[in-house]
Amino acid sequence: MSVITINNLKKYYGSSRGLEKADFGVELGEIFGFIGPNGAGKTTLIRLLLGLIRPTSGSATIRGLEVKTNFARLNNEIGYLPGETFFFPELKGGEVIRFFQEMYKTDSLRADELVDILKLDITKKVQEYSFGNRKKLGIIIAMMHRPKILILDEPTSGLDPLMQQIFLNLLLEEKREGVTIFLSSHVLSEIEKVCDRIALIKDGVVGSVFSMQEFHRENRKKIILRPALEQIDLESLVLVKTENGNGHYDYQGDINQLIGYLAKRQFTDIRIRDASLEEIFIDYYKEGN
Amino acid sequence: MRIFNKNLFALEFRRAFKGMLVWSISLGLTMYLIVILYPYVKDMYAAIPPELSGILDSFGGLPENVTEYFATECAMMLQIFGSIYVVLEGFNAINRDEKEKTLEAIYVLPYRRDVILFTKFVRITLNILLFSIANILFSLAGFWTVGEFAENGRFFLFALLNTLMFLMIGYLGLAMVCLMKPNQKNMISMLIPIPLYIVSVISTLTNNEWLQKLKYITPFTFANPVEILKTDFAFEWENLVGFTLVTICLLVAAFLRFRKREFIV
Repeated sequence: MSVITINNLKKYYGSSRGLEKADFGVELGEIFGFIGPNGAGKTTLIRLLLGLIRPTSGSATIRGLEVKTNFARLNNEIGYLPGETFFFPELKGGEVIRFFQEMYKTDSLRADELVDILKLDITKKVQEYSFGNRKKLGIIIAMMHRPKILILDEPTSGLDPLMQQIFLNLLLEEKREGVTIFLSSHVLSEIEKVCDRIALIKDGVVGSVFSMQEFHRENRKKIILRPALEQIDLESLVLVKTENGNGHYDYQGDINQLIGYLAKRQFTDIRIRDASLEEIFIDYYKEGN
Repeated sequence: MRIFNKNLFALEFRRAFKGMLVWSISLGLTMYLIVILYPYVKDMYAAIPPELSGILDSFGGLPENVTEYFATECAMMLQIFGSIYVVLEGFNAINRDEKEKTLEAIYVLPYRRDVILFTKFVRITLNILLFSIANILFSLAGFWTVGEFAENGRFFLFALLNTLMFLMIGYLGLAMVCLMKPNQKNMISMLIPIPLYIVSVISTLTNNEWLQKLKYITPFTFANPVEILKTDFAFEWENLVGFTLVTICLLVAAFLRFRKREFIV
């Protein structure tokens, strides 16, 4: 069952493109990653889902309700973390949390828990917070009212590696509780760790949507051979570059076929590994698919 | 159906309080200091040559008591600076969220846009009322200090109409920001009080019949301190009713437009 359904969504700001075409759904209880370079339209799509901006054409529904006309009602069920978090600078962290608690009519249990987990000093004023601490405050506010849907824009940017890990664990915990999570990110290794499905967006067009299982089934390999092959006569083995006598190759296909092919030749060194999501992502953009 | 949110109101009021206090005290103290100078300037007025006195007639003539002195020397300053403060209050109610980028925190809350806007509207109203009351109290303190306050009800009528004018200008600032594209510079709101004040001055000074009619398009007419406190007072009902209607229409348009406002950071 789709919790978020996006149908031919398009957004133009005057004559400039925000989002050209998005057409996909986010299923109940999944973590859906949304990947694209700066200016691709990720934040525009997120703002359309929150009712902050209105679509030029197409529609977005959350739990069967049209966002454009029901965003105030829907926002009670959504926790949102913007890419850059800005709160009221002269207020202390604790005061900001209390304000949002009252606005969401929620208790302080979850907020206190999150403050402990994220180790945020809430006695300081927001203006004294670093970017990372503002992000932590944003995470607390997005999650403290136990929303059924989390929409997160670049959630790990600004967090140190330890805190990123804690945050990703938090997401997995939320997922186990049945929360649907829609997140955008550049940090593909993290998306790889937590997401069930991912969508790629380029120049405002949401292209491929595939599950992480499909991604692993694609079985893309990165291969380094020393010395480089003089001639390639295996289908799906593609030379990427040669460097210091090493040949760098991409391979997609039956691994046994590859091993059989390489076994007939002499090498001083062979390295074979899975292509990371990051590398597939970069290839996608290079190829212009 | 709730249209007001007390938590948002408390936050907004708290955030605007310091600014209101600074404006109220600084302008109020200025009023107080000018009023208590009256005993000293009274003698200066007596020494003014007749030709200069003739020029001053255009601005209501020489004051004969402290209330008239207040009308010519204090009230105009109160109206100019006060209208700048109130229009900024109205305009910044929305503009501040855009400039501080806090709109992604406020407008994703589970409240309708009209609830948020109405709450801000109430907060602006309270701030302007407190600002106006503070200035009235500072002026009264000045009268009490010089001990010459001959009140005949006109001062409080002026205070009431002036407060009404401040509210209207504040609401026009709010309507302006709602009807414009997001992320405007707040100084653009000066396009409301300054031209309206200049129009009011022109319509008062001119002998041209057509230019005199300009007084109907500015709220400074119905709250003209010299008219109310010094000369024979003829209340400008048409101006008050007309401007009230204009303000209400613009506010309705602002509420309708705000529902569909695009929040672009």
